Amino acid sequence: MFKFNNINLDIWTETYGISFYLTYLSRWPDLCCVQEAPNGHMMGYVIGKAEGHGQDWHGHVTALTVAPEYRRLSLARKMMSLLEMVSDETYKGFFVDLYVRCTNSVAISMYEGLGYSVYRRVREYYGSLGLGRASKDEEDAFDMRKPLSRDPHRRSVRANGREFVVSAHDVS
Amino acid sequence: MSTALDRQIRPIYDALDTQSNKSAVLACNKVLKKQPNNVLVKALKALALVRLQKVEESLLLADEVLAKKPTDDGVLTAMMHVLRGLGRHSDIVAMFETAYKQHPQNEDLGTQTFFANVRVGNWKAAQQVATKMHKQFQDDRYLYWSIFSAVLQANDMATPEALRPVLLKLALRLISSGNTPSYFNPDRFYVHLLILRELEMYDDAATLLNHEIGQKICETSLVCDEIRRDIMKLKGACKQEGEQAKVKILEKKDRNWLEFLSLLDATFWDIASTSEPASEDVKAAVTEEIAKTRKVFSEAATVDGLKDRSGLLALLELEKRTKSHGLWTDACEIRMMAENYFSQFGDKACCYEDLLPYLAFEGEELEQWTSFLNSRKSFDTPDTLQRSINVYKLLRYNLTSAELTPELELARAQEYIKVYLDGLKFGVNLPDTELQPADDFAILVGHAYVSLWKLTGEESHLQSAAATLEYASARSKQSYRIRLLLIRIYHLLGAPALALDHYRLMNVKQVQTDTLSHLILSRAAMWSLAPLGDITYMSECMEASQIYMSNSTETAEFIARAFSTERYSQIIDFIEFEDRLDNSLQRDLMKVEHVRMRVAHEPLNAELVDMELIELKFIFDRIHHDNRDFEVIPNYQPRCQPSFNEQTLPLKPPGAGWLSAYLKVYIRAFQELPLRERLVKKRQEEIDDLSEDEKLFYEYTLALSEWVGPYHDYVRPPPSALLAEAAKSNDLKPGHPLKSMAAAANGSATNGHSKKDEEPPAVKESPELIPKFFDDMKSRFDAVISGTALPSELLHIVATTQEAYLLFALETVRFKPNSIIKQYKFGQLAQSFKDLRVKASSILNEMSTVLAKLGEEVATPDGRKAFVQASSSIQDSSGFDHDFVLGVAKKTTDARKQTYEGIAKGLAKVVKNHS
Repeated sequence: MFKFNNINLDIWTETYGISFYLTYLSRWPDLCCVQEAPNGHMMGYVIGKAEGHGQDWHGHVTALTVAPEYRRLSLARKMMSLLEMVSDETYKGFFVDLYVRCTNSVAISMYEGLGYSVYRRVREYYGSLGLGRASKDEEDAFDMRKPLSRDPHRRSVRANGREFVVSAHDVS
Repeated sequence: MSTALDRQIRPIYDALDTQSNKSAVLACNKVLKKQPNNVLVKALKALALVRLQKVEESLLLADEVLAKKPTDDGVLTAMMHVLRGLGRHSDIVAMFETAYKQHPQNEDLGTQTFFANVRVGNWKAAQQVATKMHKQFQDDRYLYWSIFSAVLQANDMATPEALRPVLLKLALRLISSGNTPSYFNPDRFYVHLLILRELEMYDDAATLLNHEIGQKICETSLVCDEIRRDIMKLKGACKQEGEQAKVKILEKKDRNWLEFLSLLDATFWDIASTSEPASEDVKAAVTEEIAKTRKVFSEAATVDGLKDRSGLLALLELEKRTKSHGLWTDACEIRMMAENYFSQFGDKACCYEDLLPYLAFEGEELEQWTSFLNSRKSFDTPDTLQRSINVYKLLRYNLTSAELTPELELARAQEYIKVYLDGLKFGVNLPDTELQPADDFAILVGHAYVSLWKLTGEESHLQSAAATLEYASARSKQSYRIRLLLIRIYHLLGAPALALDHYRLMNVKQVQTDTLSHLILSRAAMWSLAPLGDITYMSECMEASQIYMSNSTETAEFIARAFSTERYSQIIDFIEFEDRLDNSLQRDLMKVEHVRMRVAHEPLNAELVDMELIELKFIFDRIHHDNRDFEVIPNYQPRCQPSFNEQTLPLKPPGAGWLSAYLKVYIRAFQELPLRERLVKKRQEEIDDLSEDEKLFYEYTLALSEWVGPYHDYVRPPPSALLAEAAKSNDLKPGHPLKSMAAAANGSATNGHSKKDEEPPAVKESPELIPKFFDDMKSRFDAVISGTALPSELLHIVATTQEAYLLFALETVRFKPNSIIKQYKFGQLAQSFKDLRVKASSILNEMSTVLAKLGEEVATPDGRKAFVQASSSIQDSSGFDHDFVLGVAKKTTDARKQTYEGIAKGLAKVVKNHS
């Protein structure tokens, strides 16, 4: 946390309180990972957790971010595959899911490329970025999922997820 | 609990849950009327009171509850929060221990007792509790609690050296006594490995690691893999690791940089592992290894192509190490590798930082490299723009001192501006949340102008830098890197308000305040208008200090939680994190800044002195960690020049020595007791950390307290009374002084002059150093005014003089009342004080008048015109809008005027208040 300024000063990355980071580290340290450059600078990190009951038991990506100067190097792809691997092998989850702003088209197409698909659209999940472009898309989130080896029949995903809308109150 | 009682108590909990603490107190009183001995309600009332800051009442109630030795879960939980709020952490431990002793069968009480010890870092007691629990409840989890507590006790600085191996051996013995082997889960396995490593039992560790399950764990657990690498290295099994790494790189396509490092270490092992000069045979063998490794890395690079940069970077590192070990390598090898890397990854932003360690070229190599780069400039697409940015940065890095003339730098600045403005076309349609692709050219402009300022000493170059960077910042609103440069430049230009604006727009928060608040709070007292009642910087200090509060309330809890989820691998990190924040250098630097501003802001009364003294003494013996982040400030200056950070610091950044010097200054000034030797002693480390003016100031304060000290000693009430007072105050939580206490301290300081037996100390003339200091500062001030120094230097001199004046007032305030002068026959002394005060006042007043006049001059149309003219270079080259530059000129000169005038008025006010 003493070294993440180059990443967290970027507008897309939120800086949380101590308890946020320590909660994740004290419960799911193996779903949290930092990538460092050879010179010791932080390039990016991922924070995740395992949650849900029964068939819904899954890995969740809470934060995934890469510093501006280390973008376009497939770092996010590598961190996602680590998180999927741990969710699959250590936690035996059925799928991995994540939320993304509907406007963040770069991220959405990257996740689609990694095998994720939209499961549902969550209304007003995010706060406004406060930049004066109050559009619905900015505050709504897509819940995107990718099935793991425990879900060979792909029960955790559906094809028409973009039309499936729920309110933010209905999700955890 | 009966339902009737439950009905009465529910509303109390509800009120507490919703933070309605006042109604919680009322609800408690209602129940207590009927049941005056209800312990739970008393505890809840104490909780509501402590939240209402009614510390004294809460203390009394809490003691009543504790005396009853509660064991009820609800009471204990409430009391835990009460005592935490009161800062009585050791009482929490005692409370749970007492409860657990009464009910040794209660597993939950045992757990709570263990956690209470964990929270305060009492590992020895924690270990004993866990051992007892393991015997009682036969759960391996408690066994590991006890094992890890022993490990932590061994790690603790307070544990004697000889005891450490004993504790670790005990821990190891305990592991083998468990019902399940340690590889039951990765974190227990980690604990086992950790103990073996600390005991240097590397072979045993290797046996565990080579076991099938051990290997499996290391594949998925990064922490176990990390300690595995460490152990293998310590064991000297570098070559074996290298072999494994080779397999991973080639067959599993593992691109973890640590694997590449393992292979590199293995390659040079035969040379690097001994201090003796290598024989020809060894050299030949290593050279052969190098060739093999080169093949591995080349293969990885070919397979990956553009997908991963590890292979090419490893090749560079290989050549660099080959050269540094004095083994033959073709002179052009590193350059060819760098060119190769650039050809593949030149259009990525990381290229510059990746290549930097390998580029210290000279002579012909440098020429070739430069011409290679020059042929790679192009500006057709966003990708080639990024490549050109890298070209310009890399060229700049290798400039020699001969190439850094003002003319050439100016030409460079103008070229950077041109390509920047051209490059803006690639970002025209981007939303304002995006960074402009050409931003880094503007940052280069800033660098070139700062370098020009350093070369020529002309302030105009800083103004040009500010104008260009403001322009870029308006086009790339999210670029924090541009703001970082502006913050530094505005401070140099004497416009701290603008620096603060940019800092606030960066939205620094939480733990970032520890690492980044230095940007605006280093020596903030020199910018502060506190004497005028402006508390901007004081509140910034308070806000930035919030993180230390949350650290002390939250982090320990997570150490306990990590025990409960058995995440041992995280605990050591959490403890280190807690310590680094708790003993952060920036934390206490801010504390001292706050005191310096407070002294200028408030009347110098006993309340201020007592409270600050306690806090300053509290931090005096800390061993500090410097968490400040200077790396985040971009640096593209040539390698023969200091970094941008170093160039733009108004003064050397305050370090541990500075802190120690200023702590001594203020503790001495606030001190009620005879000076202890270590407060008077100067250390070289302190002197080295001070600016020239601060050195004079430091000498001055020493002379002052040495001179005034004996009179204080004579007048002050007997030390025993004060000691008792101090002991009482120390029991209180710092930051929550009780009003009655402050009043008591006040009383004893003024009422206690019973006539003493001995004669008053002979009145001595003031040491020469004291008046001389003020004269020196005056001549420093005059010299700077007539020279070309920056506003920041001027303000530093003024602030130091003002601080000296305030300290003089602080040290002599006791001798002001006529009654004291009469009683102790201090007439002559009072006269000396008065003479000095008059002298210092007149100097401060003079400074004030000159500053006010300067402020007037700077913000006139003429002043702005001078600014615009100074920045003519950026307009000539680019058609930068004249009005835009004028706008920046107005903002900057207005801000400087505001600062000058504010500080001038502040000086006058300080003089008036204390004369």
